[in-house]
Amino acid sequence: MTAMHPLPSPRVGAPGRIVIVGHGIAGLTAGDTLRREGFSGELTVIGQEPHDPYSRPALSKAMLGDLSTPSPGVVTEVEAQYLAAPSADATVHAGRSAVGLDPEARTVLLDDGGVLAYDGLVIASGARARCFTDSPDEYTLRGLDDARALRQRLADRPAVTVIGGGPLGMEVASAAREAGCEVTLVHRGQPMRRHVGDVLAGLCTSAARDRGLHLVDASVTRVRRDAPAGGLDIELSTGGTLRAEVVVSAIGDDPNDEWLADSGLLTDGRLLIDDWGVVAPGVVAAGDVAWRRSGPGIQRRALWTDAIEQAKVAAAALLHGRSASPVSYAPYFWTEQFGLNLRICGEVPAEVTPTVVDGDLAESRAVLQWEGPTQGGAAAAVNFRIPIPKLRRLARPAPAAA
Amino acid sequence: MAATVVAHLELDRPRCEGHGLCEEAAPDLMHLDDEGELVLDVTDISEQDLEAARTAVRVCPVAALKLA
Repeated sequence: MTAMHPLPSPRVGAPGRIVIVGHGIAGLTAGDTLRREGFSGELTVIGQEPHDPYSRPALSKAMLGDLSTPSPGVVTEVEAQYLAAPSADATVHAGRSAVGLDPEARTVLLDDGGVLAYDGLVIASGARARCFTDSPDEYTLRGLDDARALRQRLADRPAVTVIGGGPLGMEVASAAREAGCEVTLVHRGQPMRRHVGDVLAGLCTSAARDRGLHLVDASVTRVRRDAPAGGLDIELSTGGTLRAEVVVSAIGDDPNDEWLADSGLLTDGRLLIDDWGVVAPGVVAAGDVAWRRSGPGIQRRALWTDAIEQAKVAAAALLHGRSASPVSYAPYFWTEQFGLNLRICGEVPAEVTPTVVDGDLAESRAVLQWEGPTQGGAAAAVNFRIPIPKLRRLARPAPAAA
Repeated sequence: MAATVVAHLELDRPRCEGHGLCEEAAPDLMHLDDEGELVLDVTDISEQDLEAARTAVRVCPVAALKLA
């Protein structure tokens, strides 16, 4: 493609300078898109982690695999799944954080005191894991360092208590069982239900039990360090207390938006984007940091494909304003746990029973389809290799006419 | 009309999980077959295909594709 269309940007005064805060998949995609859309100015990327960009979904999957080594304590190295480098001609500052933003002056303040001026800004600063304590026995899994530390610890075969029964908690529990640990998972209600609905959650739960996972149906009110004995005490909503040697908390994440606190860009404490990713003139956002209007409410969905699609739209809007297409896509995510490989497209209506389109659920190998409300349904592949375009078509059942 | 090759597309097959996000990004360069295995239809990438190839490499969640 010839990259020479002029920059008709109503948002960016001149080709000028664009700063991207974040070098996860949202920041990287934004950088690629800016270049593809003809931005020929100065591109600067701020990455909080000192690492080259890597695949975050892999951290709780491939990165925790292969732990069943013959002797406890011996860890086989697993390489991170590094992503392609940022777009050509980007200056990357890795291991630095943005700590402030002045949208009037159009400057980003860095943690080392540096100030970066911009004409356009992409906020893709991501999110971080929630946790209960600062104990070294409590782990979370969000970044590459987390995955390496957890991998190292699991190799000693400790008894592990996972808090949180979403995809991340179940993936960690599965890996820990695989590594030979005793594993207890604490979750109020049925694990996975909110993400995959009743039928698949049932499948996940029974696969997990078959593989020796202890499930505790309760929410956690508090986790305390037990100084003399070591380890942690987990206080449950049901009144009991669980002793734990190692805790892995998979209880969601909080957006990295503190650096925007004084910027005037937060709405009720949240970084709210419209359908083009626009926050304010000259400022767009994408990925885990951003909240979007969805029907009557707002939501923040920390998924790989959301980050990519939002970043593409946001980068285009930064250059071309809202003349570009607004964001529009069905969510897609996948999980690997307890011998199940699930791929889900669309939002599964929890209580609706799906149609089996192919395979057989009793054999844990099937393609499922849900009829959804107006905006379309959902489809899932269970231990079934199916291209995502096909899954998407199933998730969007037949509009009346072709 | 042989275009100049500017890069080669490479697949780390054991790593590929067959999500097919790459096919969505670059349907002219690759597709998943009926078994869900990725087939690279074009590996010699011309200037014209470079952006599509880059996008395909970028969306892969397991970093199985590479431009060299």
